[in-house]
Amino acid sequence: MLRFALKNMAVKKIQIILVALSIVISAGIGVLAFNVSSQVSDGITSNAGYYSLIIGPSGSKTQLAMNTMYFTDEPLGTIPYSVVSTLSKDGMRVNSVIPFAMADNYNGYGVVGTSPEFLKDKELREGSLFDSSKTLEAVVGYNVAKYNGLKIGDVLHTSHSSTGLDTHEQGIKVVGILKESHSSFDNVVFTQIQTLWQVHTHEGEEGHKTVCAILVNAKNPGYALQLLNEYDGKIVTHDDETFTLQAIEPMDAVRDVLNDADDTKYIVFVLCAVILVMNIMIISIITLLNMYHSSKEISLMRLIGISMKKINLLYIIQNGIIGFVSILLAFGVSRLCLLMMNDYVSSMGVVLNLGLVYPLEIVILVGVFIISILPTAIWTLVMSKRDSIS
Amino acid sequence: MIEVKNVTKQFQNETEIKYKDITFETGKSYMLLGASGCGKSTLLNIIAGIISPTSGSVLIDGVNMQEKSQKQRDKFRIEKIGYIFQDFKLINEMTVLDNINILNLEGINTQDAPRLLEELGIAEKKNSKIKHLSGGQKQRVAIARALVKAPDIVLADEPTGNLNFAIGELVIKKLVKASKNKTLIAVTHDERLSKYFDKVIDMNQMIADKKDIFGAGGGTKC
Ligand SMILES: Nc1ncnc2c1ncn2[C@@H]1O[C@H](COP(=O)(O)OP(=O)(O)OP(=O)(O)O)[C@@H](O)[C@H]1O
Ligand SMILES: [Mg+2]
Repeated sequence: MLRFALKNMAVKKIQIILVALSIVISAGIGVLAFNVSSQVSDGITSNAGYYSLIIGPSGSKTQLAMNTMYFTDEPLGTIPYSVVSTLSKDGMRVNSVIPFAMADNYNGYGVVGTSPEFLKDKELREGSLFDSSKTLEAVVGYNVAKYNGLKIGDVLHTSHSSTGLDTHEQGIKVVGILKESHSSFDNVVFTQIQTLWQVHTHEGEEGHKTVCAILVNAKNPGYALQLLNEYDGKIVTHDDETFTLQAIEPMDAVRDVLNDADDTKYIVFVLCAVILVMNIMIISIITLLNMYHSSKEISLMRLIGISMKKINLLYIIQNGIIGFVSILLAFGVSRLCLLMMNDYVSSMGVVLNLGLVYPLEIVILVGVFIISILPTAIWTLVMSKRDSIS
Repeated sequence: MIEVKNVTKQFQNETEIKYKDITFETGKSYMLLGASGCGKSTLLNIIAGIISPTSGSVLIDGVNMQEKSQKQRDKFRIEKIGYIFQDFKLINEMTVLDNINILNLEGINTQDAPRLLEELGIAEKKNSKIKHLSGGQKQRVAIARALVKAPDIVLADEPTGNLNFAIGELVIKKLVKASKNKTLIAVTHDERLSKYFDKVIDMNQMIADKKDIFGAGGGTKC
């Protein structure tokens, strides 16, 4: 039976390629769109609830949040390190204070100066966290290590421009490599905040101990709110310079972004629905045309004495094979696209996990599969009701 | 034994054929003669259960085929009847062997196919598609497909129509041999072949009312 189904298919190559192509395209787009939109919005939410407060220079709220949590965008600017010191002393209201600065890059990967605490929840694949009492030590993200062939003990030179020119003389030693986390942490070099100040000293900025942002964990939401009101809009002076601070609630800032992401998701759903409907139409039309072409063949088989049951089975197996191979292809194609998109979206702070398959993706694929065999099933059912040979 | 009783067939276009009663006995071979359009193929189709008579009945070994369902008639045809269609009814896109092996779908053993094709002189074409064969080659494929199941009844509609006399004679001998102790009904125009058959039936005498087919004017001699 299977052999005959396959042989019979070989005869109708063009129609089969058309059906397969329409299934691959529609299922592939559906699955891909869904997967990407889900991963992006999941990626954005996962970190947002982590800190109660982010303090930084005044400016765009979203930019501050995205830069600090996902290392995207440019930092807004700098604020004096003295703010960190002040907050650290506020042990009554504050659990932890983590400085954050982003400057330079290593072969295009961002370099973040911070304290080891920033990475305390991250798992290390190798080595250890850098020592806050030392400088010029780095923990690198999984992709940074992978794509630059970095090992523990290697020394890397950061630079101002992504072209790799204008490198700093002082090398930073790799002491740890993070496990793959499928987040923006995979694409960043982490070092002590002091390291950033140190590599820049030859540029005559000694004494300018600045940070781009401060991540604060308050002891309770009440204190968080207090601190928010206290620091938002606060003006500090340092070395005769004045800085206006802003304080934001990360969740609040990310919500704006998420709203956009939700819209995207909605559009994706509508898109999927449209594609699916088109898919049904295309597949039905091609199937019916196929069947029309096959009707001569079917009547010949009937004349020889082959039952409608066997003929139906033959066609359902054929379409089943086409549908199944097509959805597998569609899945493969969608993963391939994910791989290619990864470069692009990782710059937005989200690293797509190729291994992540959402249940709804399976539903989409199975749905398309069913849609692809439905016209044949209905058609053969109608045919078998007609008992006579004509 | 096949009994044709009071069979008439009326087509939508008003053409009506009335057959006289006739019995084809098991173990005998019959040659049907008759002019074009006199209803030979129609009779074979009725016996094979492909079309139903408008009235009357066909009894095979005492069983009235008209009382059976189409499904049962199909099953009987594929298992017991070897029908060589006038226009072969082969699937053009499939190979010679596949056209025969398709009977496997209904559980028919086709192991004999290569031997039959060999005997009919088309063994080397067994993997060619039907559409690449000549008329005579197609005819022999149709014969192989009919005989492969060792049928109880062989219906052959002009099995030599596309063959030269020598091969035609060989084919008829083969058909007669294959249907020893069985029933063979072969339509052919070639009177030279009549010597191989137990009985020759002139369809002229089989048609009860010629006017219905050829109109009041009489027309072609049947
Ligand atoms: N499906 C059909 N619809 C309408 N008329 C038909 C149909 N099949 C056969 N006929 C008519 O019935 C008559 C007998 O046809 P049939 O095919 O049985 O003739 P035949 O004796 O086999 O002729 P030939 O020697 O040319 O094969 C013809 O007049 C033909 O036109
Ligand atoms: Mg005929």
